[in-house]
Amino acid sequence: MLQWLMHKMRTKLIHKLTIFCYFSIILIPLWLAVDRLVWVAGYDVVGWFHAINENYISNGVLGFTVFQALLSTIITLLYGLPIAWQLGRYEWKFQSLIKSILTMPFVMPSIIAAIGFLQIIGNNGLDLRSNDSAMYTTLILAHAWFNLSLVIRFCEPVLSTLDPSLEDQLRLLPAGKSFYSRLRILWIPLLAPSIAAAACMTFVFSFTSFALVRWITVGENTLESMMAEIGSSAGINGYMIARNEIILSSSIIQFAILLVSLWIMSELQSRRKNAIPFKPEKFVKKRNPIGWAIILPGLCFSVLPLVMIFISSFRIRTIENGVSTLNWSTEGWSFAFTPTNVLPSAYDALLNSLGYAFFTLLFALPLGWGLCNAIIHHEKVNPRFARFIDIMTLLPFAVSSVMIGLGVMLGMIRINPEFFYSSWFTPVIAHVMITTPFVVRILLPAMRSLDPIYDECGMTLGLSKVNRFVKIRLPLLKGSIIIASIFTIAMSLGEFGASWVVTRNSDWTTLPIIIDTFRGVPYDRTLTVPAANAIASILMLMALSVFTFTERFRKSEQGGMF
Amino acid sequence: MLICNNLEKSFDNVLFSNFDLTVKPGEIIAITGPSGCGKTTLLRCICGLDFIDSGTITLDDNDITEWPAEDRGIGMIFQRPVLFPHLNVEQNLLLGNKSGDVEQSLKEVNMSGFENRSVNNLSGGEGQRISLARALLANPRVLLLDEPFSSIDEELSMKLVEDVRKILKKRQTPAILVTHNKTIARKFADSVISLS
Repeated sequence: MLQWLMHKMRTKLIHKLTIFCYFSIILIPLWLAVDRLVWVAGYDVVGWFHAINENYISNGVLGFTVFQALLSTIITLLYGLPIAWQLGRYEWKFQSLIKSILTMPFVMPSIIAAIGFLQIIGNNGLDLRSNDSAMYTTLILAHAWFNLSLVIRFCEPVLSTLDPSLEDQLRLLPAGKSFYSRLRILWIPLLAPSIAAAACMTFVFSFTSFALVRWITVGENTLESMMAEIGSSAGINGYMIARNEIILSSSIIQFAILLVSLWIMSELQSRRKNAIPFKPEKFVKKRNPIGWAIILPGLCFSVLPLVMIFISSFRIRTIENGVSTLNWSTEGWSFAFTPTNVLPSAYDALLNSLGYAFFTLLFALPLGWGLCNAIIHHEKVNPRFARFIDIMTLLPFAVSSVMIGLGVMLGMIRINPEFFYSSWFTPVIAHVMITTPFVVRILLPAMRSLDPIYDECGMTLGLSKVNRFVKIRLPLLKGSIIIASIFTIAMSLGEFGASWVVTRNSDWTTLPIIIDTFRGVPYDRTLTVPAANAIASILMLMALSVFTFTERFRKSEQGGMF
Repeated sequence: MLICNNLEKSFDNVLFSNFDLTVKPGEIIAITGPSGCGKTTLLRCICGLDFIDSGTITLDDNDITEWPAEDRGIGMIFQRPVLFPHLNVEQNLLLGNKSGDVEQSLKEVNMSGFENRSVNNLSGGEGQRISLARALLANPRVLLLDEPFSSIDEELSMKLVEDVRKILKKRQTPAILVTHNKTIARKFADSVISLS
């Protein structure tokens, strides 16, 4: 009994330590950032919200943010639902390849999407950049491109796992004679939670979109891009107080909207689960040659921005006698890897990105694992506390990447400004904050579904704790661990918002940041844009390899985001 | 020899108290009783997966009451075959004993040639035979069987009961079977105890 008690106490201590680490890493920087902003702005909460309306920087930003997010959500659903229907209801040759291509944009770093769409509307493509309304249309289409995966992953499993005889039966009944009546009686009630969940997530991602807004709708800000831009002058006592007020009120509004969206999403997810059979059966599906008319344009649209990035990396603009022409060359690629006095080299960015990804994984994976263990343990002994930790691990989802970046920046400045400006390590803190909740969301269901009898059986076979972990637990959770690790690496490699805020005042750069830097160089430097495209191609290739590798470990019926 | 002395365990209500049991070398005992009477909990306490509230468990003169399950040397076969899906039959067996004779073990349970088979393709009866082979390969000082025949059809379970009894007797491995089926209990064990 004594040994058993000591073991229990050791387990409790590990769980407490993990929870403490999580709160220290995730919540303390955010708390310190708010504290610093309030220290500058004062406690006049009403004044904060007045500032967002009255100041020229923030005037109209909230309206634009909500409007573009709503429109993006509607367009994404209109574009994605017919594709999801075709994929779910009919048999397709190369089905998994089609699905992979269509869902691939979601794993692309947002800066890639921005650069890709800039190429489509730029002088390498349709040459529409001078047209203001084209910019807004492009932003909405780019959001639809980015979020199509959500509609497919949420809706397609419901469509493909439903017994076709249900529809056949309905067809033979008086109430289900027309297509619309079948839609009303069968499909809409079944699909509604999935559609709404996809809509919620699309809204969240469009609402917090940063890279796309920053690059496509130049001069027009969302809450996210505005906070990123004014964030560097915040937190200084007596200096630009209105900016501190704007950041505080914007953060509160954004946090509240995201929290409500995620809460609705979580409610919908649990309803959605009931619509998907626990053990989906395989049904014989018909082929639908006409459906290619929907699938093919979708496929082309999914790869177009990526192809444009790659092609444009070889297109160099030359200006002779005031006439601009485009030529084929690899100079952009060599320029990207040559350091200059003004611009860093892609090598530095690549090494930094890989380093940040490695350290992020090193912290986020054990932390996420520990949190999952703590949640599962407390679910048995103290369900309320387990639910509390569970909600706390969801909290960073309601904080956008720019808000996290600001949190790390202002929080670190509050603790030790010298360390913040000089430390290579700072972006890792932001990346850990962003990726840990994803690790928990991936590992927790897998760990929950692991039958404890395996561990007990290992005990009766005389296997030690370490042996049980290595020989039983680890192999059984291998798929989820790999997905979580790859996801963490991919997210860290492509992370833009938080890194942009955090690295803005330092010498450290990452692949997405260097792409942004190269694109930001004045137009008369003809090699910087192809160089940015070359680096974007590398980042794209890394994301694609990672995505393809992860797909091998994903169960097709899982659906959802991850 | 396994001696359980004055065991007591309760959750919301008392499952068993003042429970004494002695299992001599080579002896097979069956414990019967209705569902929820604490049969499985008793086995879990004996092998160390759960702990008793009071009493002592002694195995070959060692007080193992507080020992962790993995150090007790007591094997257990669960109600359904617990085979690790990421390992094949041979690898599952070697978990019980790294240097064990897998071929001989499989022969003993009439499963020769199954070394490289995936455990996912085994029937319930085959799975239980492999579980038995693995448990025996670990050379347990006592083997506990928690209704291992209940998930198999009647004809096959009777055959398995005979086979397992023969193997245990041949090896002189003491065993405790827990079951609600009195016919199986009588056929399998040397003596039957009723837990009410």
